Amino acid sequence: MANEQKTGSPEVSKRKLSSGPLSKGDKWFFRVTSISANFAFVLVALIVVFLFANAWPTLSSQGFSFLTGSNWNPDAKHPVMQLGPMLWGSLLIGFTGVLLAAPMAISAAYLIVYLLPKPAARVATTIIDLLAALPSVVIGLWGIAVFTPVAVNWAKISNQLLGWIPIFHVKDPNAAFTDSPFIAGWIVAVMIVPIITSVTREIFSQMDDGLINGALALGGSRFSVFRRVIMPTSSSGIIGGILLGLGRALGETVAILYVLQLSFKINFFSLLESRGGAVASWILARFGEASNSEFHGLMAAGLVIFLVTLAVNMLASFIVNRAQPWRKN
Amino acid sequence: MSNLTSRQPWAQSSATFKLQLAIVSTIPSVIGLLFVILGNLDFSIGLIGVFLPIQVLTVAAFGWRKAKRRGLSDALLIFFTIFFSTLVLVLLLSVLGSVIFEGFKALSPHFLYENNRYVGTTTSLEYGGVGHAILGTLLIVLLTTIAAVPLGIAMAVYLTQSQSKMRGVVRTVTQSLAGLPSVVAGLFVLAIMQFTHIERSGFTGALALFPLMLPTVARVAEESLRLVPSDLRMAALALGAPNYKAFFQVILPAAKSGIITALLLGLARVVGETAPLILTINMNNTTNLNPFNGPIASLPTYVYSFLGSNYSSSQQRAWGAALVLLIVVGILFGSARILSRKKSLKTKPVKKAKK
Amino acid sequence: MMNATGTASTLSAENISVWFGERQVLQDVNLVFPANQVTALIGPSGCGKSTFLRTLNRMHELIPSAGLAGRVLLDGEDIYDPSMDAVDVRIKIGMVFQKPNPFPTMSIKENILSGLKLSGRKITDADELVETSLRRASIWNEVKDRLGDQALSLSGGQQQRLCIARSLAMNPEVLLMDEPCSALDPGSTRRIEETIQELSASMTIVIVTHNMQQAQRVSDQTAFFLADENTPGGVVEFGSTENVFNQPIDPRTNDYVNGHFG
Repeated sequence: MANEQKTGSPEVSKRKLSSGPLSKGDKWFFRVTSISANFAFVLVALIVVFLFANAWPTLSSQGFSFLTGSNWNPDAKHPVMQLGPMLWGSLLIGFTGVLLAAPMAISAAYLIVYLLPKPAARVATTIIDLLAALPSVVIGLWGIAVFTPVAVNWAKISNQLLGWIPIFHVKDPNAAFTDSPFIAGWIVAVMIVPIITSVTREIFSQMDDGLINGALALGGSRFSVFRRVIMPTSSSGIIGGILLGLGRALGETVAILYVLQLSFKINFFSLLESRGGAVASWILARFGEASNSEFHGLMAAGLVIFLVTLAVNMLASFIVNRAQPWRKN
Repeated sequence: MSNLTSRQPWAQSSATFKLQLAIVSTIPSVIGLLFVILGNLDFSIGLIGVFLPIQVLTVAAFGWRKAKRRGLSDALLIFFTIFFSTLVLVLLLSVLGSVIFEGFKALSPHFLYENNRYVGTTTSLEYGGVGHAILGTLLIVLLTTIAAVPLGIAMAVYLTQSQSKMRGVVRTVTQSLAGLPSVVAGLFVLAIMQFTHIERSGFTGALALFPLMLPTVARVAEESLRLVPSDLRMAALALGAPNYKAFFQVILPAAKSGIITALLLGLARVVGETAPLILTINMNNTTNLNPFNGPIASLPTYVYSFLGSNYSSSQQRAWGAALVLLIVVGILFGSARILSRKKSLKTKPVKKAKK
Repeated sequence: MMNATGTASTLSAENISVWFGERQVLQDVNLVFPANQVTALIGPSGCGKSTFLRTLNRMHELIPSAGLAGRVLLDGEDIYDPSMDAVDVRIKIGMVFQKPNPFPTMSIKENILSGLKLSGRKITDADELVETSLRRASIWNEVKDRLGDQALSLSGGQQQRLCIARSLAMNPEVLLMDEPCSALDPGSTRRIEETIQELSASMTIVIVTHNMQQAQRVSDQTAFFLADENTPGGVVEFGSTENVFNQPIDPRTNDYVNGHFG
């Protein structure tokens, strides 16, 4: 049924709804804040431009092999700088770290949201957040002095039991098991657990109670609710959180430098071998004694790791934001 | 007490159930420990090879007895949740414990205020300290804060108060900046220095920390501004307030503790950053109070440089400085916690009134 | 100089249509709110009556996708005219919201004075203004000894009357109320209704309500809004409250006021 239409004209012209003449104060208020906000773009652009300008000499002379080759000899007559093993090492350690961190983080989030009573949950949340606040140099110190001996043990055990699986295989029968991607992966895992936990926790706690109660009322068990109700609705958000963690892991510098033997003999997936790579750590390790030509090579390495983490983080925040519609606006 | 339990029939579980639960949760660890102590077994092997399989089996059996398959899967879910969460807790306590334990050995009053003027890698701990590094860190971080906090808050204001369509993009870019590898921040400033011929000083260090602090401040400030009910803004506007007055007089006071939390968490984020400082400042063994000129010390680079040496006194210095750094982070983090706790208490009466 | 009682104005809406993005939610609303009269806007949820209320003091435009056609005249002047400042409009046309929303960081007294401060006007006699405003909202006796207390220490009903007093301190010519009692208990509701009656002596009042009895108790005239499925809302019937409730012309009005739907 139609509404009462006194004029009956369906085409009414919309008026422009500007907020009218803004007061002087408001004009400045919005001008200042929007300039500040746009500074985020400026900052990203500046980083790209400055890094790129300094990286160009290397990028132009090395070409695509900068990413794929595995040789670093910056002071030869014809400098060769190929980042391959470091780049692959960053990815290997990042994925190892994520694989180790994800179960811990999801468990911690599940414990906090669904199992612990409120006060205990609050304490647990504080503990996890505290872990996030630990400086990486402190984690590195702990990693080399306290964790490495323990992890070497774990590595030995896994090598003895699972040595027939390539990733746990070591060539040298008297391997030291120190300074391996395995240990670096654990260190990175310790650092990214809090990020994944806090994203997952938030997504869990925003779950519709009605949905869970409904499932419980239908006779669902804890496990079936977890698998059939909680995980399907929150999985994309959790993946976003994991990607955020991956982004952080790829850029980790100081802590990895302590616990990993950086080597240009590429280590594809032998987690327990005492050699690996990490772009960010390589930059820091070489920086002190870099010649002019290596300086440009390190800048190029920085540009690469920046672009990789930027892509991972953009994807992650896109997924997380979509999984958390209540954060919009 | 008895009254309460009688009113909560679901809270009463039979004595046999409790006994079974106790057996299930203690026996495997006891067996594991016995193996480790009597069998002189390595702790890790005892944990992974003995305790874990027995525990999984007993938990599974317990669940199966209670409710067949449903009980089994529930019991395993809870077991693994607790197992992995305990792992996180153990890792964290191990970090905290070792830093506190080792750090205390180096800590003494003079360690906190003396500088390292005559200290070498083998100098005994009776001499020297981190006083110059504490001051250096404070100066560098102060400079970063002066720039990053107002800008971060302004960004948060834009993200919450304006109606621009660009907000989503700005938010995504800011969030991605939060994942900026710290070494890249250092390289960036290095490239700027190369270009402008600025000398290394505390200032360049502060510049390198800036892109790391900004997104943290912006995000936390945005979240706290968002917690202010939009009703308040509407009420202020309906009373004829221009936007900026509504913000400064109504919204900002209501979000005050959240804004301070943003400041504290931003500080906690950068105070321990190492890589950017290694790239952009020259380390110093003496006190330098001028952040715009000359080499300057900082706590993270202090840890880094002494860790590089194998002498035990240097290692001790590294632990001591790490403990001081941890205490600084702890104070920042703790005050942020207390502030946000207070805020949540304060908003409770509002909710009640609304009902 | 702030008078305790200002002058009421006539507010009229001409051919008001409203959009959110591409979706039209109101079509061609024509209503006149004569000075010193109380007009009730009734209708089922989602028929656009709260949106309409917000167009009357330019709060509508704070929603990013909002669109509008038509004119709103305050004593013959179009409040949407480009030369009009939204701030001036909102000073003249006050608003009370559904949920009580006193400013949590301010005391009771500061809340009353907040409007003047926020709109940048001079406060000549603060104490007197606070007292008159609180008296007019009939809450003076309850709070006169605790003006320095936090506004949140008041009960929900008191908070809402404080919000009314806050609007009255601006001495508005028109007061818009968006379901002001929906979050309150019956006792507080009754007191606010009494306040509305007293206030109509000095201002024009438009009130959105879901409560039929309330509309009948407080209003002089009533407009019934209705939106059919997938069509924009509009006014089905507008007249004296007496007629709308007792001799409705449109059968749909009859159904609604007698509780057959909505």
